[in-house]
Amino acid sequence: MQAAPPVRERVAFGWLRDTRLGQVWTRLPFWLRTMLLGLVAALVLPAYGDDYWTRVAVGAAGFAILGLGLNIVAGYAGLLDLGYAAFFAIGAYTAAILMVNFHWNFFLTLPVAVTVTGLAGAILGYPTLRLRSDYLAIVTLGFGEMTRVAITNCDYCGGPNGIINIPFPSVPGFTVDDLPATVAQGFFTQQDAFWVISIFLLAIALIFAYHLAHSRIGRGWVALREDEFAAEAVGVPTLRLKLLAYVMGGMWGGLAGAFFATRIYAIDPTSFTFATSVQVLILIVLGGLGSLPGVLIGAVVTVVGPELLRPVADQRILIYAIALILMMLFRPQGIWPAVRRKPKPFYGLEEDEPDKLAARILREHQEQEAREDKKHEGAGHKVAAVGEPILVVEGLSQQFGGVKAVDNVSFEVLRGEIFSIIGPNGAGKTTVFNCLTGVQRPRSGKVVFNGRSIRGLPAHQVAARGLGRTFQGIRLFRQMAVFENVMVGIYGKHRTMTWQALLHTPGERAEEQRTLQEARRWLQFVGMESASGKLATELSYADQRRVEIARALASHPRLVLLDEPAAGMNPTEKQELVTVITRIRDLGVTVVLIDHDMSLVMRVSDRIMVLDLGRVIALGKPAQIRENPRVIEAYLGRDDDEEDAIGAAGA
Amino acid sequence: MGPFLQYTINGLTVGSFYALVALGYTIVYGIIRLINFAQGDLTVVGMFLGWSLLTQFGIRLLPLPVALFLAFLIPMLGTAVTNVVILQLAYKPLLKRSLLAILITALGASLVLQNVVRLIFGPQIQAYPDIVPLNGFGIGPAHVSYLQVVLFAASILLMLALYLFTQGTPVGTAMRALAVDHDAARLMGINVDRVIQIAFVVGGLLAAASGVMLGIYYIQIQFNNGFLLGLRAFTAAVLGGIGNIPGAMAGGMIIGLLESYTAGYISSKWQDVVVFGVLILVLVIRPMGLFGERVAERM
Repeated sequence: MQAAPPVRERVAFGWLRDTRLGQVWTRLPFWLRTMLLGLVAALVLPAYGDDYWTRVAVGAAGFAILGLGLNIVAGYAGLLDLGYAAFFAIGAYTAAILMVNFHWNFFLTLPVAVTVTGLAGAILGYPTLRLRSDYLAIVTLGFGEMTRVAITNCDYCGGPNGIINIPFPSVPGFTVDDLPATVAQGFFTQQDAFWVISIFLLAIALIFAYHLAHSRIGRGWVALREDEFAAEAVGVPTLRLKLLAYVMGGMWGGLAGAFFATRIYAIDPTSFTFATSVQVLILIVLGGLGSLPGVLIGAVVTVVGPELLRPVADQRILIYAIALILMMLFRPQGIWPAVRRKPKPFYGLEEDEPDKLAARILREHQEQEAREDKKHEGAGHKVAAVGEPILVVEGLSQQFGGVKAVDNVSFEVLRGEIFSIIGPNGAGKTTVFNCLTGVQRPRSGKVVFNGRSIRGLPAHQVAARGLGRTFQGIRLFRQMAVFENVMVGIYGKHRTMTWQALLHTPGERAEEQRTLQEARRWLQFVGMESASGKLATELSYADQRRVEIARALASHPRLVLLDEPAAGMNPTEKQELVTVITRIRDLGVTVVLIDHDMSLVMRVSDRIMVLDLGRVIALGKPAQIRENPRVIEAYLGRDDDEEDAIGAAGA
Repeated sequence: MGPFLQYTINGLTVGSFYALVALGYTIVYGIIRLINFAQGDLTVVGMFLGWSLLTQFGIRLLPLPVALFLAFLIPMLGTAVTNVVILQLAYKPLLKRSLLAILITALGASLVLQNVVRLIFGPQIQAYPDIVPLNGFGIGPAHVSYLQVVLFAASILLMLALYLFTQGTPVGTAMRALAVDHDAARLMGINVDRVIQIAFVVGGLLAAASGVMLGIYYIQIQFNNGFLLGLRAFTAAVLGGIGNIPGAMAGGMIIGLLESYTAGYISSKWQDVVVFGVLILVLVIRPMGLFGERVAERM
């Protein structure tokens, strides 16, 4: 193993990091750093000794936990939740009822409250998974209101009066009620104890949120937020991840709620209104959506800000609202926005020798393929050998209203070949693609891939079966770094579980490292390694195409579908593309290609299928297609000027 | 049967107010995909403008039809101007940025309106003068007041006017085009900014119209009425399929009826639970609302 050259990232406070202490500090794991900072915070504020401000700080910490939870739902997964206070309420009432009616210890109620709110998240999430974001907004708002009304009308929950006499958290053998007697008089007050507990809970919430955000799950959420359709198509199980976001978000809310109940001594439904939900939403937008430091800053600003405005009590909401609007106008990305750009994404990673790279990818690909083939055969499916049909389409038809977009199309793609589908605009090429990849369910027909039917499977499962794809209009995850885009492509290959991601276990870390390494190799394969740390939006058109191809290849698919990869490329870039496509084939990956560029298609294809008006009009080797009179008539044009016809078709 | 008819009549009356506010949501949403949270509070602004005209500026000395006409017209103009001012100051610069930023801005605008009303008209409950006689006629066992008839008819007329406006006029056609594709509309020579402004004018007009009607009907008004009202109306808009004008009308009526029946047969305490329960149920079965069309995912 070769030592990585000492490259330094350029980051904020970089000079601090370069000090001796800074170097030690950065090498500590995140949880330890957070706990140490938390310890300092827990000690400093009581020493300052102003009970009023300690109370405010405890409130801010509670809101920060809420913010971390909503940030998972709205910041990462991009699901607008306007009823987040419901989880807060459910957590608070669960803990309060257990403590008051059943005399439970506060710390024992925490796991119960968190579990109950997690379940509530699943109950809210499950029926609403398929809703578009604005509809989701009203459903979540409704959920929040329903919860509030339900607890107001629930006699067991104390009705409108709520629950009172919620005990102070106690540790066995150490009752905090007589704290002032045990500790120096009045030095460590009840409020100080709350502060210590809140910092401890906040640290835990922050550590778990950080772990999730930096796991494949966090990556999947952001991909889902950036482009749900593309995420699903490259192998991210979007519905499951959405549900997980709700459950996780609910759990953080439950934690905050339980703490709120014990802190406030008496809870009633007025603490859990729409205004609370809005305050949490404002908090995370103000701080910067999807940014953990942003949540902490947002919590401080939204809780301390109104306190500072106390002298103008009457107008403080007005001033607050105006400040909010101004903030959105002048800094809509938030105070500390999350930027996923990374100057040196592969810092500290084992270096690959550039000249051995191709051989290495080839070896790994073949090893993986052989392993899968064996497993596949063991499960009793037929494995296509090279030259045998890997994709069999029979009688495929698709209809939109009265239009038959695809009409009884049958073809076979042989393992290891480059198979192109061409045809004039509206011939049904993309519809065929969509039927193959699970984006649409075909009206009728069979689609068999590698010995198993894939017709009607959800897109992410089709991807998991080994069918990668790119898109006609580029669909990268725009606000993610290039290397992360490729890592999302490997999502389906991960074997670690959610709990491992939460705890950031060694197994999970090792897998993340492997994924990163893998992503780097594929970026080298398409010649994009130097741009790995940039955001996808910062690349040129042709480079984005190449990243898309790397993303499609990253999961080692059997077959990759390229939808108009040459669109918008100049001749040099097209030449490079030809090289890339041939190299993909050389790996042993079958390629199915749609493109309008005749010279490109004729040059790279082994076989070509021509579609017109949804039907197959020709299928054969490039030379045969070129001479086929039906193709010439349908595609190359009845027009005299052939070049124009091709150009128009490509537009 | 008796109470059922009465509940239906009351439900339709309230539903027609919700429908008017819901139309304000739907028109703005259809064009810029913004849930304009300020719509409910704008309604309250109109409500208070009408109240101050009727109680403090002595227009009641005028003949009743003239007084009513003014009590509607002036607040409607007021809220239309307010809405456009909010658009220009707060939403316009953000239109090209993230939708969430505009949404937060809308929440901010809602709070600003609410607190300005509180500042000017006070936090206490105010009462509309009973200018329209409350007597009416009976249909079987149910009682219908003339006020209900007038208000219901007025809202239906407004909705009809709006429907004809969007379907029949060039501006209305431009609005519908914008709802489908901003860029294409711009390329066809539509002045997008102007059309957005007109949508906000219409939203403002509807807000005050419903606000004054609500005031006359319910008598008691308070600065914070906007939240619940906005919530109901927004629910109505979504129920009908947001962005869809007949959908918003139907949604408003359905919400009004649901509320009235729940209050009559179960308990008014559970109104919100029933309303939102039905909403969620409808959305689970028809994710685009009752009258909304499924928008194809753009490839």
